[in-house]
Amino acid sequence: MTNSFVVALAVARKDLRAEWRTRELVPALAQFVILALVIANFGFQIDSRNAPSIAPGILWLALVFAGLVAFGRAFAAEREQASLEALLLTPASPVAIFAGKALAATVLLVGCEAVLLPALALFFGTPLSIQVVAAVLLATIGMAALGCLFAAIVARVRARELLLPLLTLPLWIPFIVAGGQAVQVAMGASGSYDQAMALLVDFDILFLVLTSLAARFVLDE
Amino acid sequence: MSILVANGLTHWFGSEVALESVDLAIDAGEHMAVLGENGAGKTTLLRILATAARPTSGRLEIMGLDALRERRRLRQRIGYVAHAPGLYPALSTAENLEFFCALQGVSRARVGETLEVVGLSSVARRAAGSLSRGMQQRLAIARAILHDPKLLVLDEPDASLGSDGADLLANVMKDRTVVLATHDHALANRLCQRTLTLRHGRSVGTATRLHVVK
Repeated sequence: MTNSFVVALAVARKDLRAEWRTRELVPALAQFVILALVIANFGFQIDSRNAPSIAPGILWLALVFAGLVAFGRAFAAEREQASLEALLLTPASPVAIFAGKALAATVLLVGCEAVLLPALALFFGTPLSIQVVAAVLLATIGMAALGCLFAAIVARVRARELLLPLLTLPLWIPFIVAGGQAVQVAMGASGSYDQAMALLVDFDILFLVLTSLAARFVLDE
Repeated sequence: MSILVANGLTHWFGSEVALESVDLAIDAGEHMAVLGENGAGKTTLLRILATAARPTSGRLEIMGLDALRERRRLRQRIGYVAHAPGLYPALSTAENLEFFCALQGVSRARVGETLEVVGLSSVARRAAGSLSRGMQQRLAIARAILHDPKLLVLDEPDASLGSDGADLLANVMKDRTVVLATHDHALANRLCQRTLTLRHGRSVGTATRLHVVK
């Protein structure tokens, strides 16, 4: 049997290499988040007083929709290339394949966040602190696990673009609530940052375990 | 001794039966061609034999293992060439195979050897997406034999292979048990000892090479 860690890294490296060469996703996502911030900048009357309460909402909206695109592509590309079957007909563990896909999608979304967070600070004057970055990264882990699991499920159906948000968004709400609170506090609102971060860690662990268990059944058929 | 034994393989797609009570026994080292018109059930049968699909009912034993329960163990010993090459167009020819080396748990040294067998050594660094259809098919065949499988399941592998395609297939089929689906009776006669003909999902008989010629 193959080493799961080696398989996961090979799958992630393959996806990232393909993205590096085609530049299909990251430039489009970066453009999308910048456009979202531009629209929000004109749509809201944001000043230094209300920025800590409004900017986190804009951040999570942009992140959620960018995430849906990033995770949706993780398995849709394999389907379009008819390569998913070849991938699954190896003795490699389906969980390791799933972990590799999720890892690559996470890295791509983090790349998008590297554009989003400084742009948010630039547009709305919010602080770009290590606390904000940590909260966004922690939420990204759990969101990636869930997003990739549902992307794998809907990759087999025709209306996947419609189904993915319908299945994923309700289960992303805990990350948006806890992550939103952590970012708000980090940007100057009142509340407990540590409590929100602890909640994010709990959600990450819970959903990483659940998606790992489910991935085997989703990908094995 | 039979390396593959199937009893009553049946597969339904909704209310349509794709394969109905197919029985099959293939000896080690034997090459069997599966013939039939479009929609006869060839691909469905081959996907089941390659463990890519589960039959609705029936039993399948490959190399002494229950193919419905021991799919991951069997996948180390089965090579499958599907209809579509299923390659990664942004990766090079060699990178496509290196990736599957990691998934199959075999040494990267196999990449060079396998490319040599299928005649793609000269395009090892070219992107798979820029290869001709025939070259992509060769790469799909290379991927199927990368882990040196005992059983090869080939679904119309001769499509776009070119004039030396039959020689290439004869070379990769050597010393292996093979199930080959094709429309080309001459190819089946040249490469296989036995044929199984499917019609509307049902087996309408097997024949030896001599009978096919007649």
